[in-house]
Amino acid sequence: MPVERDDGIRDELLQRVVTELRRPVRLDPSVDARALREIRRLGAAGRPRPAQRPLWLAGAALAASLLLAVLLRSSGDIPVSRVASTIVAPDASTRPVRLRLASPASSRVAVVGDFNDWDPGATPLRPTEEQGVWTVELQLRPGRYHYTFLIDGRRWERDPSEPRANASDFGAPMSVLTVS
Amino acid sequence: MSPACVFPLAIVMLGVPALLQAQDRRLTDRLDRATAAGVHQLMDSAKATGLPTEPLVQKALEGSTLGADSERIQMAVASLLGQLGRAREALGGDANEAELTTAAGALRAGLPPGALRRLQSLRSGRPLVVPIAVLTDLVAEGVPPEQATQSVLQLARDGGSDDEFVALRRRTQMERRGRPPGPTDRPALQPAADPPVDR
Amino acid sequence: MMSDSDAALVARTLDGELEAFSILMARYRDAFGRYAFHMLGNREDAQEAMQDSFVRAYRALGDCRQPDRFGAWLLRIVVNRCLTMRGRLKREQQFGADLPDQLPAGGEAPDSFEWRDEIARALGRLRPHYREAFLLRYVEGLEYAEMSRMTGAKEAALRMRVKRAGDQLRELLRDVHAG
Repeated sequence: MPVERDDGIRDELLQRVVTELRRPVRLDPSVDARALREIRRLGAAGRPRPAQRPLWLAGAALAASLLLAVLLRSSGDIPVSRVASTIVAPDASTRPVRLRLASPASSRVAVVGDFNDWDPGATPLRPTEEQGVWTVELQLRPGRYHYTFLIDGRRWERDPSEPRANASDFGAPMSVLTVS
Repeated sequence: MSPACVFPLAIVMLGVPALLQAQDRRLTDRLDRATAAGVHQLMDSAKATGLPTEPLVQKALEGSTLGADSERIQMAVASLLGQLGRAREALGGDANEAELTTAAGALRAGLPPGALRRLQSLRSGRPLVVPIAVLTDLVAEGVPPEQATQSVLQLARDGGSDDEFVALRRRTQMERRGRPPGPTDRPALQPAADPPVDR
Repeated sequence: MMSDSDAALVARTLDGELEAFSILMARYRDAFGRYAFHMLGNREDAQEAMQDSFVRAYRALGDCRQPDRFGAWLLRIVVNRCLTMRGRLKREQQFGADLPDQLPAGGEAPDSFEWRDEIARALGRLRPHYREAFLLRYVEGLEYAEMSRMTGAKEAALRMRVKRAGDQLRELLRDVHAG
């Protein structure tokens, strides 16, 4: 029997509330840097402690794997690593790609595309020293990526420096880039 | 006190559902239940035929972010699934996910499968993503498909590198936007002397 | 586009490779940051909760018995951290929708910021235990057995909390929904 996430929610109002609450929430990526600073500051006192393993807990490993499969709603076909983003750390198979957009009147620019699960909070651009120009550097594996910019959280704008995508499915201006 | 990630076996026996469906959490998190179910069904079809599912997930997430309704999202994903299938028919079972996705975009742009097969043959096992992408981009730029196809096939026949395909696209853009190409640039599009491409 | 598994990254971290832990943090920051955000009501507290949780997780990483299930183990730390921090919340006014949350649809203007703000305020008016149970059940999608292990509360109590949270949200939002 499939797992029903919304069992018990019978009315439209709560369904709408839950849908809203499930929207992605993006935190400042500097959270990670601050945690790392704290970890480094702690020095030896902060390093992982050795595992403390009472013997009777050893048999629960199988139980843990089953329950966590339920928890994460994933199968062996769908790695948990894909839950967050398809942007990966640089490695030999990735190429640096820099996006730039001149948008002088904007206070906030982000990019959404095939490389970040179309997540509006995942990839903000940062302002450069050049007035009104925004930029971000991505590490992408070879492939073809559709994307668009989100300006001030309110409107979509394609990248004029890259080819126009051939007819967007959803009506937004779209660009496409190819990484070889 | 630090929590531990171990769970008593007894609790497992009580609480595990009988069937665990393969569900992508990105979809269940961001789509309503009906839309997520519809997209998962399409993904199941893709898996059953050996087609990649990640492009389908990305298409659904694109629709979600752009505020599309359920029907539109499912139609777009279904359409992409069809294009991926036709892309594999054109390129064969050895094409990787990036090539299939790029080829799907080319077919969607109206390029004939025969052009892709011919390009594959001329590339002799070299990667296809960039040549197919450039071909698609030329059509999106407004170049007639037959003319774009002949130019790309000519460059492939000449053994052009990925950089040269990209340069072909750039020159074409410049010419079509009214800017003169550089002194070392040769004309972007040339009529080919070869027979028309199979359709 | 495959990246390292959680288990591999945990192993690398325990070998002394801090960069591997950075990848884990990036992987889960937003997924669990959503829970922290709704639990604590604002982005700043959520970020502090995630930062603290990451440091605790790093220090206790040797206790993670199933490193390929690092996510669930980390979520338990986050849940506990949010419970500890909730005492710092002083006013329900801290609960309000952040900008930008509403996204335009294919170029159209946003139109439901008020609805999101009302949800955030209603959530903030729930007792913390009710809010926690509702979020774990319906937003994080946990089973009651797992919720019981995370919170220490009995399943029956959790079911009651979820039901009451739903009833209260329905009451608080009825007028907004109908309007």
